[in-house]
Amino acid sequence: MDRNLLEIDGVTKYYGDNHVLKSVSFDIRDGEFLTLLGPSGCGKTTLLRCIAGLEKIDSGDILLKNESIKALPANKRNVNTVFQNYALFPHLNVRDNIAYGPRVKKSMSRSELEAKIGEVLDLVKMKGYESRMPQELSGGEKQRIAIARALINKPDTLLLDEPLGALDLKLRKYMQKELAHLQREAKTTFVYVTHDQEEALNMSDRIAVMDKGTILQIGSPSEIYNEPADLFVASFIGDRNISQVTVVEKNDDHVTIRLGSNVINVRCSNKAGCDFKSGDKAYLAVHMDKMRIACEQALDTLKGKVGSIHYAGSQIRIEIDVDGSDFTVIEYQKNECLCGEGDTVWLSWEEKGGVLLPLLPLPGGLSV
Amino acid sequence: MKNRGITTSKIKNNAPAIPVLVWVGFFAGVPLVFVLVISFLTRDSLGIIVLEFSTENYRRIFEPVYLKIFFNSFLLAGLTGVVTLVIGYPVAYITSKLKGRQRTLTIGLIMLPFWISSLLRTYGWRILLDYKGIINNILTGLGITNEPVTMLGTFAASLVGTAYMLIPFMIIAVFNSVDKLDRSLLEASYDLGAGKLKTFRNITLRLTLPGIAGGFTLVFIPALGLFFISDILGGGQTVYLGNKINELIGRGRNKPLAAAMSVAMVLFITLVIYIYTKVSKEEVGGLL
Repeated sequence: MDRNLLEIDGVTKYYGDNHVLKSVSFDIRDGEFLTLLGPSGCGKTTLLRCIAGLEKIDSGDILLKNESIKALPANKRNVNTVFQNYALFPHLNVRDNIAYGPRVKKSMSRSELEAKIGEVLDLVKMKGYESRMPQELSGGEKQRIAIARALINKPDTLLLDEPLGALDLKLRKYMQKELAHLQREAKTTFVYVTHDQEEALNMSDRIAVMDKGTILQIGSPSEIYNEPADLFVASFIGDRNISQVTVVEKNDDHVTIRLGSNVINVRCSNKAGCDFKSGDKAYLAVHMDKMRIACEQALDTLKGKVGSIHYAGSQIRIEIDVDGSDFTVIEYQKNECLCGEGDTVWLSWEEKGGVLLPLLPLPGGLSV
Repeated sequence: MKNRGITTSKIKNNAPAIPVLVWVGFFAGVPLVFVLVISFLTRDSLGIIVLEFSTENYRRIFEPVYLKIFFNSFLLAGLTGVVTLVIGYPVAYITSKLKGRQRTLTIGLIMLPFWISSLLRTYGWRILLDYKGIINNILTGLGITNEPVTMLGTFAASLVGTAYMLIPFMIIAVFNSVDKLDRSLLEASYDLGAGKLKTFRNITLRLTLPGIAGGFTLVFIPALGLFFISDILGGGQTVYLGNKINELIGRGRNKPLAAAMSVAMVLFITLVIYIYTKVSKEEVGGLL
């Protein structure tokens, strides 16, 4: 599990003048489910295609089992891809689609091939579909066949490019579970690309958050969720209230900050460090669903005024104004404080749910 | 009562097609019926059609002289199909990879010859292929051959002329099919371990088969009837269907036999189109 299977070493890629990958370096461990997560255009798909050999890298190196594969064409690399649109061959039935890899590589005898086809179809729960044509399959079924077609080649790693993107919400949720399960069963390293944070948090052993051709943070889902390395990760993962605050003073493991007329203690993110001086501007980032509303003042709470309350099925969204900063609180059950619009309330949160982050230029397109 | 309701609504639904049907029926259907009727009649010594039923014309088609003509024509048309495919496929493939203005320009250049009279273009080939023509000048000038080569009046000259005339049809038909090809299928093939050649054979060629069949049909059918090219370039050495029909109507004064040969040709073309629709349906599946 801890052995490195793939090493991405300073990989750089340009499309014309467009710098898509900026010296990306990280390792992929043997047997893990690693997700490349980022907004569209961040370079995650390009990185995946570089690993697959479908794009040439401009500099850097890619090592598979300690051997450089950057000079090998796609058909000579022992990695396989599940494409976003599945890319099943429309003129071949399910059996022939799956048999395509072993047949062109002449890697199996006839009887072995038959047995393997049965095995992978079993794995993706598609036994009995052998003679169906791709256009007779639903989206989820095509998905499974595409995975089976890749897995029969026993790849060192399976690369998946937003494979759930074309499915409807219900099927997507179902396939998330299925994929995570399948990955364990197939004992194959998965490198998964998505822009959907929920998918990433649900399935991955580790997540690499990407933006503008660089990796901002790599870690377990809970690490990414609770200990963001910077403001971009904090704003991209989970729904957070982000407001600018002023540092009053730094204590041992806490920082005292001022937000309007409120002075409270907050913690730093393990990954972003705690390099603050008094007078610094910083960002307070708190998960909306980790906040509590109280009707009475307590220590380390923010005083605010209830703006509006929205009922959205199982959750209630409450907009609160704290001396000019907007906070949204998501509630799933009745709070101890039944507040109405215009009431004065005090906000607090579970310690894990809020962090103080250093002031960085905000990534383009993101507003606080 | 119920039946009548369906027929009136059918007429209503198909009403927009009626003018087209009348147009096609009048300008294509009626002449074809004339040809069919004439093919069963006879002629007098002056070549005037006589209203007397006979199947003699159809019997004569099976005489060796005429069978040879059919054979020559199919050979020429078939080889034209092969030549245009071999040259046209790469052109179509490369064109489909071009983008923006380059693509528009290339397609424009492929279509450009249609702006010039085909007769004129065929005479242009005479200047190239003539015994004292440009190609022979170059060949002897460079010392590749000692004497000029006889090119005009050969089967090859007819083939070159016919292929040249019809190649845009092949290119456009294949282009449409190659252009629709999902490039991620090619990537999937590489990804699964196939090299360029295997990918081309297993995926590209297979999925563009409808385009190839379409192009072949579009080239084969007119190649059967382009009589003036073999007249101008082939020197009438080999007789083809088009030439023979043309001759029988004019100097031969045997319109009924010409009509019978035309009918036989139409039947054969119908068979070719039938095979094409079969091939393209099977290969395309639910894709197109």
